[in-house]
Amino acid sequence: MGMNDYEVIVGLEVHAELCTETKIFCGCKNAFGAEVNTLCCPVCMGMPGTLPVLNKQVVDYAIKMGHALNCRINRVSKNDRKNYFYPDLPKAYQISQFDIPLCEDGYIDILVNGQKKRVGITRIHIEEDAGKLIHDDSFDGSLVDFNRCGVPLIEMVSEPDLRSAEEAKAYLEAITSILLYLGISDAKMQEGSVRADVNVSVRKKGSTEFGTRTEMKNVNSFGAVYRAIQYEAARQVEVLENGGVIEQETRRWDDAKGCNFLLRSKEDAQDYRYFPEPDLLTFEVSEAHVQELKDSIPELPVAKTIRYMQDFGLNQDDASLLASNKARSEFFDSCVAMHKCDAKLVSNWVIGDIARILNERRIEIGDTALTKENLTDMICLIEKGTISNTAAKTVLETIIEEDVSPAKVVEEKGLAQVNDADALQKIVNDVLAANQKAVADYKGGKTNVAGFLVGQCMKATKGKGNPATLREMVVAAIEAL
Amino acid sequence: MELYRKSASELSALLNKKEISALELADATLARIEAVEPAVDAFLSVNADAMREKARAVDEKRARGEALGALAGIPVAVKDNICTRGVATTCASKMLENFVPPYNATVVDKLEAADALIAGKVNMDEFAMGGSCENSAFKATKNPWDTSRVPGGSSGGSAAAVAACEVPLSLGSDTGGSIRCPAGLCGIVGLKPTYGSVSRFGLVAFASSLDQIGPFGRTVDDTALLFDVIRGKDSAHDATSKDCPFTMPGSDVRGMRIGVAKEYFGEGVSEEIKTAVLRAVDEFKAMGAEVVEVSLPSTGYALSAYYIISSAEASSNLARYDGVKYGYSGRRDGSLTDLYLSTRSEGFGREVKRRIMLGTYVLSSGYYDAYYKRAKMLQKQIAAEFAAAFEHCDLIATPTTPTTAFRLGEKLSDPLAMYASDICTVTANIAGLPGVSVPCGVDSEGLPIGLQLLGPHFSESKLLTAAKCFETAKGGFAVKEL
Amino acid sequence: MKFDVQHIAKLAMLKFTDEEAAEFEKEFESIVGMVENLPEIDSKGALLDPSNQMELREDVVVPSMPRNELLSNVPHLVAGCVVVPKTVE
Repeated sequence: MGMNDYEVIVGLEVHAELCTETKIFCGCKNAFGAEVNTLCCPVCMGMPGTLPVLNKQVVDYAIKMGHALNCRINRVSKNDRKNYFYPDLPKAYQISQFDIPLCEDGYIDILVNGQKKRVGITRIHIEEDAGKLIHDDSFDGSLVDFNRCGVPLIEMVSEPDLRSAEEAKAYLEAITSILLYLGISDAKMQEGSVRADVNVSVRKKGSTEFGTRTEMKNVNSFGAVYRAIQYEAARQVEVLENGGVIEQETRRWDDAKGCNFLLRSKEDAQDYRYFPEPDLLTFEVSEAHVQELKDSIPELPVAKTIRYMQDFGLNQDDASLLASNKARSEFFDSCVAMHKCDAKLVSNWVIGDIARILNERRIEIGDTALTKENLTDMICLIEKGTISNTAAKTVLETIIEEDVSPAKVVEEKGLAQVNDADALQKIVNDVLAANQKAVADYKGGKTNVAGFLVGQCMKATKGKGNPATLREMVVAAIEAL
Repeated sequence: MELYRKSASELSALLNKKEISALELADATLARIEAVEPAVDAFLSVNADAMREKARAVDEKRARGEALGALAGIPVAVKDNICTRGVATTCASKMLENFVPPYNATVVDKLEAADALIAGKVNMDEFAMGGSCENSAFKATKNPWDTSRVPGGSSGGSAAAVAACEVPLSLGSDTGGSIRCPAGLCGIVGLKPTYGSVSRFGLVAFASSLDQIGPFGRTVDDTALLFDVIRGKDSAHDATSKDCPFTMPGSDVRGMRIGVAKEYFGEGVSEEIKTAVLRAVDEFKAMGAEVVEVSLPSTGYALSAYYIISSAEASSNLARYDGVKYGYSGRRDGSLTDLYLSTRSEGFGREVKRRIMLGTYVLSSGYYDAYYKRAKMLQKQIAAEFAAAFEHCDLIATPTTPTTAFRLGEKLSDPLAMYASDICTVTANIAGLPGVSVPCGVDSEGLPIGLQLLGPHFSESKLLTAAKCFETAKGGFAVKEL
Repeated sequence: MKFDVQHIAKLAMLKFTDEEAAEFEKEFESIVGMVENLPEIDSKGALLDPSNQMELREDVVVPSMPRNELLSNVPHLVAGCVVVPKTVE
């Protein structure tokens, strides 16, 4: 038996840093990349006598995520201590939530190969991040930077509903795009603002019982999630096929080496001695506020993708590409709402030339002068045959820089298509005369040279000819020879 | 009368009338400390220069006619688990021997804003764990009434410094009786306020859900004055703090219902103490109060619940002392675990380790429900019983301690006997209630006996009114000449 | 009642010699005996106290503490960082 006889079961624990102004339990600024130990106070350092005071924004953000993931919100909640010793954890306990997480029992729909798949969300809770250990081979010891201590996190735990590395990657992408949509996290895996622990088990196909799972840490990119799961599933299958058993253990993924290592065996499992955080009291979020937060949730990427596919006939790739970026999809929505031109054309421009320019310049749509009026006007000009697609690219370059009407750009730059039949006929005749060999080829059956001849005609019109008209004219002229 | 014998209120009057200057008072205080410290050993550090400097500043402020704080020029001693910026805060532990906090506790900021003079930091049981002040890593404080005896703990230094007239006022902390017990054994007034009424920010944590800072004084009015200065919500620093309505104590207990619960007069409480407390209850009756019997059936379980909850929280609160960020640091030439183990094993004293071990055990996998959770449920039950009792009475009168001051060393080798000294006081911490201890006589050996009055949440005004009426009826509380 | 001193000591990050451990074990028999004196009580349900709630803090920045002050008690400091024996992981 081999890989194909087994099914992979994956569950993800995703930690996301929230982009609040301040840390979760003190007023220190929550920012990435500051000089070591400069965004700290005695609370961050866990100094004697200091106490935590919970940031309201953290609770609000977590509840927003709870709504986005269709969770039940526990309006009355509390914090708990998770006790363990490590130098990056100054109090030697992490303030987290144990038995009453803010959000529970939700789900997320993800799209995999055009199919909608529902993944259960067990819980979302709030907690504080730990500091950073800096290792340097030139130095005999490790250095601790406490800046990250107290940065607010939400931990989102999925049910073991994922059945492949692809699904896990799609799930993680869906989660990060929701974080960005809600504006509650920078969601940058490379900077560590989103981190995933991956639980993997395998079982024979057809079996209904779960196998023993292992937990993998240090999985730091979408690609790594995919690779780590592929590796771990294969490792487990190999162990089982060789008559071994899977131990419940924690392993560390090494993406550079493409393999994982044992970090902690079950016997070393830590006893975290959770108990209610006595420095904080029970807190309650009003029903009205929970509703207010719910009402603030925008349409989310997967729902948007499905709507784009159904309403505008976009394919899944285009629809999800468009939906994955909040600013661009909102711009698209606003253009389409004007009902001036074909939504598919708008989509092509937004995910095509506009996306290319934005990505090259590393900016977003809001950083440009592009307006929904100007883009749709430009597309209307194409639809009416006033300008060619080629000319439209020139128009786009202009209207992305300044708020000027496309009609004016067309006029000023002389981009209007030449539709004068006599003028075009002269050009066609000239081109055919100058390209006798191509004409002969066409007559000899190589009809694809027509494209070349149309191109030559376009060139002669300086891009202003209507390519469709020109093609008809070229074909007609050759046939008539 | 010597200056040092005077109450804070009397000293304030003298200062206001400019009969004495704050600097004179500071000097007199320092002289008194120098004279009696060899016998009492209450202070861990005396801040003479800072005190004189502050006294001069207060005198200048007064000379300029500026508004002065409520404790202008009055010396106050501060328990050494309350953080003072730039001044060592040791918790009487080798672990924090050299720890100098770069921040003030909120109560210290409040003392400074009230223009008080901080006389120094006073001794305690290490990390506030103990009932005799002998668990200090540095020295044992003595009871001014008999220096062969303990002052009680853990705020033994705070109580002894006031009882020995070194300072008129001091701050202590009370987790299971650590203000009331030493107040009782040293014959002074000690108030454990309602949980949350005084900010805990800067109080080095023992058991977060039970710890509370409170005042000591030789008179009820002085104690009330200090409480008034330190109380109040501290939204920015302590999420458990609350605003506490308070007016200075009145002078009438007529119609007040004083509850007596038989559970506090059981086995283990000395007959002399029972008699003295019941005599005090009669005194209230004579003053026009009504005496009612109330029932607090779960009292017998309170000590167990207390040791479970307080040790559990302590095991977590004290985990931060690891030799990395501050305080004592052990072996640095080995692994991280070597550093942790050597720091903690060498830095903590025996009693602290005992509590950390007990707390770790009751929270550990498989025991949490049987111990910690059961104790927390019992806590709810005890609080509910008090709430029910306070429907029938305004205050409850009990002994403060089961015995009067015991001899130094007497209970050191018997943890359980030491733990039992908290038997009358832990319930107030468990239920978050305010309690005050006032002197109600002496035993056959001439040692002070404490009367404890307990009230509902935020009933400090009423508690101190009753205490003041009792004080007036007794013609004031005795001070032992050293 | 079985009380494994060395296991608890490991969790608590404390070290005891065998003699100390033996002494502790004896003491603990009596201390645990005392704390076991709890009545049977319903211990189901979460430890929430909705009748005693806290307020939450507004998300407003307060300046951090200057680093030299903040780290003034650190036993071993290098380049503004706190030093610990080398950690592996």
